[in-house]
Amino acid sequence: MTTVKPKSNQASVGSVQCENTTLNLLKVNDFVARAIRDRLPDILVINVCSSPGSGKTTLMQETGKRLRDRLNMAVLVGDPETERDAIRMREVGINALQIVTGGMCHIEAQMIYQALDHIDLTGVDLLFIENVGNLVCPAAFDLGEDLRVTLLASTEGDDKPKKYPRMFLTSELMVVSKADLLPYVPFSVANVVQDAREVNPDIDVLTISSLTGEGIDAWCDWLLTKVAEKKGVLTSPAA
Amino acid sequence: MHEISLVRTILRTLEDEFPADMDRVRGIYLKAGLLANVQPILMQNAFQAVVADEPRYQQTSLHVEVLPILIRCDDCGKTTQVQQYRFICTCGKPSRNVIQGEELLISKVEFDD
Ligand SMILES: Nc1nc2c(ncn2[C@@H]2O[C@H](COP(=O)(O)OP(=O)(O)O)[C@@H](O)[C@H]2O)c(=O)[nH]1
Ligand SMILES: [Mg+2]
Ligand SMILES: [Zn+2]
Repeated sequence: MTTVKPKSNQASVGSVQCENTTLNLLKVNDFVARAIRDRLPDILVINVCSSPGSGKTTLMQETGKRLRDRLNMAVLVGDPETERDAIRMREVGINALQIVTGGMCHIEAQMIYQALDHIDLTGVDLLFIENVGNLVCPAAFDLGEDLRVTLLASTEGDDKPKKYPRMFLTSELMVVSKADLLPYVPFSVANVVQDAREVNPDIDVLTISSLTGEGIDAWCDWLLTKVAEKKGVLTSPAA
Repeated sequence: MHEISLVRTILRTLEDEFPADMDRVRGIYLKAGLLANVQPILMQNAFQAVVADEPRYQQTSLHVEVLPILIRCDDCGKTTQVQQYRFICTCGKPSRNVIQGEELLISKVEFDD
């Protein structure tokens, strides 16, 4: 430790010891996230984020139904209190486990790591993590995912990418959901895409409706490509 | 939004790092990148709330510095401060190469003698 002047930069009054550090507050989370990656080398893990009610669970249900014969899929679903979303997924035959965060506004890597002991992932190709509905806090927590996908419903307004930039900055794909409601709400897909690309020029965009099925094929194709890429990384010979 | 748990993490991190010195901590300096979504005023409120029932921290204050977002251009190598969340270099090239703005760390701790 070094003895330095007090912060006021005036003459030293008494003495204050001062320790310069770089204690990263997300160190533990990031460490566990790496452990999750090591543990799931051949499963594509997707962290699905959005505000509450943007249609994450409904989209997982549709995805499970459509890809049942082509992919083995499992879901970890985080909610502050109830088991309800996992039940909704199991009803359509999806292997789902609820993570009750006990009121917390985001999932942390440690919760995923522990959950992995309680879900059978034998033969699973694709693991979704449905994050807690919140565009702020989940953005800072790496869950060991390969990709992050953010849903933005047409009913939420098109100013979200600039209000929650970190989420869009760290997402591979923005899904504009509830497209069936676009005719009824003031929401410009062109504006939202422009704003999202100012934050993240590489972000992919899909417009979907789980109700009418619009865009769901494109979404499923996107998933199949990403799953193949993940597996390809493993099977491709070293360059 | 998770300021309370953040304050607890700060105290836990310091208790791990300086187990013998926590009664003497007077100042905690936090550096939070703009992308960490940390509001200084909310952090102060959360800090007051958490330390209210911890006698050892009654003389401790928290200082939060928010750091702007800086990107480094892959093309021209220039460092630019991001304004209005437009991740674009002054040369016109978009960039996700964030070199400052995501951090959340304790940069300094002051102890009373
Ligand atoms: N109109 C419309 N409603 C939808 C769509 N997808 C989901 N919803 C409704 O939006 C509400 C919230 O959906 P849910 O999947 O639970 O959202 P989550 O909180 O993101 O998991 C439910 O009432 C759904 O029926 C859609 O594509 N169109
Ligand atoms: Mg849900
Ligand atoms: Zn440049």
